[in-house]
Amino acid sequence: MAMCAALRCVSTNFSAALPLLSRPAHIWTCQNSLRPNILRTLYTSSRLSGALKFTDKHEWVRVEGGVGTVGISNFAQEALGDVVYCGLPEVGTKLEQMEEFGVLESVKAASELYSPLTGEVTEINTDLADNPGLVNKACHEDGWLVKMTIEKPAELDELMDEVAYEKFIKSLDS
Amino acid sequence: MSVGKAAVKVLHLGRISYGSALKIQQLHIKQHLDSSSISPNTLLLCEHEPVYTIGIRQAPYPPEEERRLKELGADFFRTNRGGLITFHGPGQLVCYPVLNLGCFKKSVRWYVCELERTVIKMCSKFGINASTSPDTGVWVGNNKICAIGIHCGRYITSHGLALNCNTDMSWFDNIVPCGIVGKGVTSLSRELGRDISTEEAIPKLLEAFTEQFNCTLTYNGSFS
Repeated sequence: MAMCAALRCVSTNFSAALPLLSRPAHIWTCQNSLRPNILRTLYTSSRLSGALKFTDKHEWVRVEGGVGTVGISNFAQEALGDVVYCGLPEVGTKLEQMEEFGVLESVKAASELYSPLTGEVTEINTDLADNPGLVNKACHEDGWLVKMTIEKPAELDELMDEVAYEKFIKSLDS
Repeated sequence: MSVGKAAVKVLHLGRISYGSALKIQQLHIKQHLDSSSISPNTLLLCEHEPVYTIGIRQAPYPPEEERRLKELGADFFRTNRGGLITFHGPGQLVCYPVLNLGCFKKSVRWYVCELERTVIKMCSKFGINASTSPDTGVWVGNNKICAIGIHCGRYITSHGLALNCNTDMSWFDNIVPCGIVGKGVTSLSRELGRDISTEEAIPKLLEAFTEQFNCTLTYNGSFS
């Protein structure tokens, strides 16, 4: 399948990703300038931030400054089991909404990932190469998968907010 | 939402090349994705000529490794399933359930667990005490009797399980099966001390499958 050819193991991508490591540092500087209680709300609240939008395939996207951060939901990480490998796209990959963009392996099962939005991959989470379990342990924060541009902001309106998503997963036959 | 048991169609493919079986799986996956209301859940059963296959974690198996294994007389495939390297060959019953998990439970962790339980149940019908371990698959003590590796996209499963019946186990000496050092492999024949063919294993596997997945099996003599 074409998608398989486009995937690269995150560890082999590391040399290409090295320049990107300076980017998170830049973002951190910006965040440090925010008031501490906002940081607390963003990072320590067990309630999900209202900015998270969800797909029916259990990916989430958080929009900050025109950049979408993508990950999988708690429901998804529980359904997968312990993630042992993350196959993520290369930076610069252009994605359509609902297009397969990667794969997660757990319990000898390779599960496809679907892009919540149309856009271009700007960053991948290189921490996942050595620590794929972050997807389970911190699926909304450190276990993020990719960051991407948002070419069609209207697509965000089609996604579920936290409340709608909670209703959705309750309705799923278990 | 369906009432009652899910229906699963059984297709006996017989001795078939790995590549051909992959194409047939793709056809069935496409059927699932194309159809709006009917979910053609299918269980493909077959045996392959000697072949080594790997999953999406390709880094441990560079081209030199592929060459080495091909020189031993086996084929080699890089696939989109989970799991590391394994061997398929005559005497090994390979089962590819192409299911819509929406008919069962939308969790690959659940699905893999049910596959393991199916094989354990089948082994017990032979009087073999098999079990799971932290490493996915079905074990008799420290020896793996059945390997599992699957793919799931839009809740449609592919690849599946490989149960050693009377496989020539020496093929496994050329690899670290499933990347697990220090453990071995076994077969139904080895465990029971008598020759057990894939033909003998099939009915018991299907019986265990219907019990574990709570489904009904239908049979179609022709290939789709």
